[in-house]
Amino acid sequence: MTPLEGLAYGFSVALTPTNLFACFVGVLIGTIVGILPGIGPVGAMALLLPSTFALHPATGLIMLAGIYYGSMYGGSTTSILVNVPGEAASVITAVDGYQMTKNGRAGAALAVAGVGSFVAGSVGIVGIVLASSWLADQALRFGPPEYFAMTLAGLMLLSRLSGGSVLHGFLMVAIGLALGTVGMEPISAIRRFTFGSIQLSQGIELVPVIMGLYGVAEVLLIAERGIHKAHIATVRLRELLPTGEEWRRSKWPIARGSVVGFLTGLIPGPATVLATFISYSLERKVSKTPERFGHGAIEGVAGPEAANNGATAGAMVPLLSLGIPFSPATAILLGALMITGVQPGPLLISQRPEVFWGVVASMYVGNLILLILNLPLVGLFVSVLRLPQHVLATLVLLLCLVGAYSLNNSQLDLWVLVIFGVFGYGLRKLAIDPSPLVVALVLGPLMEKTLRQTLFMERGNVLAILGRPLALALILLGVLVLVIPPLVRLLRRRPDAPELSG
Amino acid sequence: MTERVLALALLAAAGIYVANALPLPLGTAARPGPGFFPLAVGVFGVSVALAWVIIAFRRVPAVTGPDIPAGGHGRVLATTASLAGFCLVLPWTGYPIVAFLFVGALLRRLGADWTGAAVIGLASAAVSYYLFGVLLGVPLPRGIWLD
Repeated sequence: MTPLEGLAYGFSVALTPTNLFACFVGVLIGTIVGILPGIGPVGAMALLLPSTFALHPATGLIMLAGIYYGSMYGGSTTSILVNVPGEAASVITAVDGYQMTKNGRAGAALAVAGVGSFVAGSVGIVGIVLASSWLADQALRFGPPEYFAMTLAGLMLLSRLSGGSVLHGFLMVAIGLALGTVGMEPISAIRRFTFGSIQLSQGIELVPVIMGLYGVAEVLLIAERGIHKAHIATVRLRELLPTGEEWRRSKWPIARGSVVGFLTGLIPGPATVLATFISYSLERKVSKTPERFGHGAIEGVAGPEAANNGATAGAMVPLLSLGIPFSPATAILLGALMITGVQPGPLLISQRPEVFWGVVASMYVGNLILLILNLPLVGLFVSVLRLPQHVLATLVLLLCLVGAYSLNNSQLDLWVLVIFGVFGYGLRKLAIDPSPLVVALVLGPLMEKTLRQTLFMERGNVLAILGRPLALALILLGVLVLVIPPLVRLLRRRPDAPELSG
Repeated sequence: MTERVLALALLAAAGIYVANALPLPLGTAARPGPGFFPLAVGVFGVSVALAWVIIAFRRVPAVTGPDIPAGGHGRVLATTASLAGFCLVLPWTGYPIVAFLFVGALLRRLGADWTGAAVIGLASAAVSYYLFGVLLGVPLPRGIWLD
């Protein structure tokens, strides 16, 4: 199947009534959770994961992916109108977006953000098709050493890029890997770290861990802050049209943001957030009037909003072509695939084309629905913020509890949820990002399997990995990303020394 | 303070993990056993946790604590206690009753009036039971008197 034939087939899958409805529900929920500060896309995806068990794998994935990219639209709405970013990837949008609202140009900011997201989503789909097909072909030649090197390099990059110190990143990785070893060991059937519990021998479920770290922890923060009422600006439909000058200023930032976003999405780490910051600083650098930034420059909305949507598309590439997730959101998508019996990896495109092409095409359909849904109904969506926060927080907790229980009908999952909720709250207080933990929990078993296979293949010589060019390149990349920033800091301090002595 | 407590707790957890990894069969370099990877992870975990403990205790703690609004700690404790209470009581009272009590009590604690807390508690317990217990067929506990 050529990419064009594949995409046509994908549209025939995505446009069936069931899948179209799943896509609509996904992007609608995504928009709402993007608007609400209490619950982000990852928490919402984890909450809805159990409801996809009964669905066809493609349908479930279409809905969950819809929440992921839909939240990027919703997040920008509140950043622009209320100066309250619904999630981290919209923080930078608030800088110029809210200034535009103050200057009476809220409608134009929303429209440019919507169109920018749509363009980036469309560019991203072309990127996914090209990159995934190529990567999946290459990946068929990968052996255990390459997969091991990829997971190792991914975790190293994630530790460096997830914000905060590398030490904290390493800690999260260690916890995630350790949690991944709990339960029955698949080769010798030995129970590890189960402390006699039969429930623990099935391992620690990903979903309650994510619900705890992202759902419960966020609610605990809301409880700590107390209840705030947001002041909401109103936007009339006719104000939504940007002027010719505004369009002219936005078109190149949108184009650059789309590409920057997609490329950032390919890298392990908080891609959507990083992409917005890279795009914003890029736009400020190339602008002839950088002093306008921070005072309502439309480029500061157009670029980052395109970038965060582009990044959600880029993040799908390693998941769909290699079966390796590098972010908590794609880790949930992987979980959804595995629960429904689909083996993710390079063979996904050829063995389950309806899943691969269906999901890719649905992203285009979803972006179109989002554009239609978001602009005229922006007032309605923002009114979601009027829902009292304590009611919302309590209901999110109840949904987390019943959702975690429904996974295996087990008390253990409830306790995992509560423990990781409190732990996640502690991490937030210390400004530590839990995403390396989630990704390490998912990648841990793959890492152990490929390491043991590699050692077996190479008769115990782990250094033989370095004799494989791709594995060597990946490990070098990971090491360089870890080592270069402290080295640069050290070198920057040095130049002063000779001057002082001279 | 939070950082030191968390760092020490993680070091202790890493130590317990290594102690439990040691009895697992290690295997040989060419044929690693089920204890090989956990031991490697455990040693990595202990080293990183130890480094964090050293850094956390060397750093001069901030004189003023983080800005937490009045009653913030109480609300966080109450929410955590409600969650733990839900897990403990669920097998005995069954889902509908514990869901009603959980939502009602927590709403009341977070600032709702009695009537609002009771009405939302009742409605959310009924709707969530119908949605998960009836429509999705999740065998939610019904309590010791109904089973």
